[in-house]
Amino acid sequence: MSEQRYDAIVIGAGANGLVTAHALARAGKRVLVVEQHQNPDTTADIGWVPPRVIQELGVRNLLLEEPDPWLTAPLPSGGALELSRDMGKSLEAIRRISPADAVKWPEFSARMHRLASVLEKLYLAPPPDIETRDPRELARIGGLGLYVRRLGKQAVIDLARILPMSIAELLDDWFESDALKGALGALGIWHLKQGPRSGGTAFNFLHHHVGSPAGVFRPARSNVTQALAGMNGIEVRRGARATVLAKNGRASGVSLDKSGETILSPMVVSSADPRSTLKPVAIELDPEFARAVGNIKARGVVARGTFEPETTPAYWNLCIAPSLDYLERAYDDSKYGQDSAAPYVEVQRTNGGGGGGRLELHVQYVVPGTHEGLTERVAQALHARPDQIALQPAHESLYHGELTLDQILFMRPVPGWSRYRTPIEGLYLCGSGTHPGGGIPGAAGRNAAREIV
Amino acid sequence: MAKRYDAIIIGGGHNGLVTAAYLARAGKSVLALERRPRVGGAAVTEEIFPGFKFTMFSYVVSLLRPEIIRDLDLPRHGLHILPLESTVTPMENGNYLAAWADHDETRRELYRHSPRDAEAYDEYGHLMHFMARAVKPILSMVPPDPTSFAPGDLFALLKLGKHFRGLGAERLHALVKLMTMSSADFLDEWFETDVLKATKSASGIIGTFLGPRSPGTAYVLLHHYMGELDGVFRAWGFAKGGTGAVSEAIASAARSFGAEIRCDAGVSKVLVTNGKATGVVLENGDELAAATVVSSLDPRRTFLQLLEAGDLPDDFVSDIKRFKFRGSSGKVNIALDSLPTFTCMPDGGPGGRLHRGAVSISPSLEYVERAYDDAKYGEFSRRPYMDIVFPSMIDPGMAPPGKHVMSIFVQYAPYKLNGGWTDAKREAFGDAVVNTVESFAPGFKSKILHRQVITPLDIERITGLSEGNIFAGELALHQLFFLRPAAGWAKFATPVRAYYQCGSGTHPGGGIMGASGRLAAMRILKDGT
Repeated sequence: MSEQRYDAIVIGAGANGLVTAHALARAGKRVLVVEQHQNPDTTADIGWVPPRVIQELGVRNLLLEEPDPWLTAPLPSGGALELSRDMGKSLEAIRRISPADAVKWPEFSARMHRLASVLEKLYLAPPPDIETRDPRELARIGGLGLYVRRLGKQAVIDLARILPMSIAELLDDWFESDALKGALGALGIWHLKQGPRSGGTAFNFLHHHVGSPAGVFRPARSNVTQALAGMNGIEVRRGARATVLAKNGRASGVSLDKSGETILSPMVVSSADPRSTLKPVAIELDPEFARAVGNIKARGVVARGTFEPETTPAYWNLCIAPSLDYLERAYDDSKYGQDSAAPYVEVQRTNGGGGGGRLELHVQYVVPGTHEGLTERVAQALHARPDQIALQPAHESLYHGELTLDQILFMRPVPGWSRYRTPIEGLYLCGSGTHPGGGIPGAAGRNAAREIV
Repeated sequence: MAKRYDAIIIGGGHNGLVTAAYLARAGKSVLALERRPRVGGAAVTEEIFPGFKFTMFSYVVSLLRPEIIRDLDLPRHGLHILPLESTVTPMENGNYLAAWADHDETRRELYRHSPRDAEAYDEYGHLMHFMARAVKPILSMVPPDPTSFAPGDLFALLKLGKHFRGLGAERLHALVKLMTMSSADFLDEWFETDVLKATKSASGIIGTFLGPRSPGTAYVLLHHYMGELDGVFRAWGFAKGGTGAVSEAIASAARSFGAEIRCDAGVSKVLVTNGKATGVVLENGDELAAATVVSSLDPRRTFLQLLEAGDLPDDFVSDIKRFKFRGSSGKVNIALDSLPTFTCMPDGGPGGRLHRGAVSISPSLEYVERAYDDAKYGEFSRRPYMDIVFPSMIDPGMAPPGKHVMSIFVQYAPYKLNGGWTDAKREAFGDAVVNTVESFAPGFKSKILHRQVITPLDIERITGLSEGNIFAGELALHQLFFLRPAAGWAKFATPVRAYYQCGSGTHPGGGIMGASGRLAAMRILKDGT
């Protein structure tokens, strides 16, 4: 047994873990981060990094990528639909496939952006506590209500009407072009074991729109994890998997897998997924809580990988989702335990990490443990050779809990425990499994650190 | 023009009749107009084949509001509800799952499939009972408008917030889950027996264009606990004389209060002068004047068909155009020479009780989900989900002695079928239904004397329900409460003064509940027109 040298141990050196660690260090705590992987992750972070995270921690060397055009979707007739950051350019591109859709594009973009701004407000603080009797919390909830009302009557209606909708219904209300609806609809099913016709996918669409400019429906990419890893003030131990230790309802530290070493600390903050964090200490938990943790839906549906064509392609972000039906059929296969026969594929070209021209793949839907013939099918979708594709097997949900309406806000990670605490004193959660969830690197980490401090 | 009525009700379905009865009871001169030769709308009993009576469309009663039964004294007007006590689900391996009237027997039956589920069943039942009780008051309230700053709306919203907070954390969380999850996911948290989850979740998809894995279907599980008695997990009732008898009873009550009901009197148009409804024009050209006009038709016909384009504001019109119907269910009515024998329970159980209850063709979650997949892409289900009852077993008056009638509710049959519905497609759909039943009850086909196949298109043609949606508009989360049928217009009034809506397309909608009709009547009386 070693003596207590740390005020806090943070499990996981991803964006959220590092944000929490640095924030705790700023508050004067001696912090150790334990990360299971030996080498730092060089893949791009996908998702909007809240500027407040950057400012508060003084993160430097941050590379924010805002690809333009932000989406290239091949058209069945040849050519491609290219959506740009410039509203006028997108409008022109959409007009070529559907003049009616082009007319609606600006208003659609504005309405979605307004709704995403409501989510943004919710995401930079712990979720509203609807059971509270604390006047300050009640005032905060009232303030949120007022904020929404000030956006106007239409925003209130949209919020109530659109969040539970399916992305297919939402897009069918506005547009006619299959190519446009497929490309937008893909964001609604992003990391979700749901098809575009499933309720709540409109929310998932808006979630991933938070932080993007109006008319841009793909999240930003950055090197935020690498930038955070390069900062001083915390100690990081790599290549060791940490298991939480707890006794008599109190966290006491972690044990490291290979060495068996025990590191003591009165506070453990885990950015790993809630289920695997809590499993080793299940005996300390109330059965109701343990059951709720067991019920977290975190079904992995995405395989990531890389694509190496002979020449660097012209696009920044290629999307193979030609229609909503295409996505729905891809989902149908996964319902019955199979990888999609024709999967939704997205290729993201990034400049971050290991130099120019790296192409990262997002393949959905896959079922962990399968993947027979998947490489070939992805190659076919991209008109490439299988040897140019390298897929990693899919794990549980990268988001540590699907972003469905029953698993967000005060229901995340489990109902009633959304304030980053657990029933074990001194054990906190700060990863994507907590509010506001995956796809917004650093937000959960920041909220958690503020709650802890 | 002759007499000027205080109120004219368009449509003689159960909601229209309830509104008529309540208004007449308050002393108003009321005329209800029905297009068809008989009242009832989708709740009618008809002798389709000589001697065989069918509840043509809706076939069970579970949610009829008790206050309506009381206020209108319906039993005195002939309403008599007989319990449908059990549900048997035949499985593809020849086994079955049954839910009987007796709670302990149901638990023993569940135990046979899974001891764990038998344990969870009671806890689940308690929670659902509680939740149903918590939600029930909402069915009897006028939805507040959250976009309004009117003191009444703000107060109602606060009251609603307080009501829900009063539930306590655990139940509030369960409610959020019920409102947002798919029935399959919700049930996965409780049970492991697939056929149990399939049968329960099947009741969550009725009338929707959703599958058991589609979020938004869990909420409907609650509905089945609202009308429940003595722990039966799907307490449905069957009206003596069929659902048409429910309509007749309400009509009789309305008449007893002085309401006039005219059949064969379709309305082609609502007369509007200076933004105010003044009467109606019948299909035969007659004009009738009224101080108030109330439509019980679905929102599409209430606003887009009965009014002129210029009568309504544009954004309201686009809201109504966006309101979704997507009919997804059909009905097959069969006259039988004798009862079919199901492989899973050849003797029909002690006392033949299988045929006295419902038979649910929902052998597995995958079965029901695949039925939905067919419909998603514009085909009827090759092997559909079915809810079968034998009304003649409960009410012998429905068929000639020794013979039987069988009512098969079928899902999915999309209104927008690829290539459209034709006579050949209708028969093919009927064949799919019959063949599927045959696979669970060999020899069934040879017992069929007559069959009537009803597609969503037929439902639309006969009852007028747009796209054949049995709830007069989908019961999806974004079409409920203050969004039914459109934001700002969920309180039964419409943008046209003196023109009201009272059908299932308004809050709370759906099923033979009558709540919409009653709430609308209250609102009209309060407005004092």
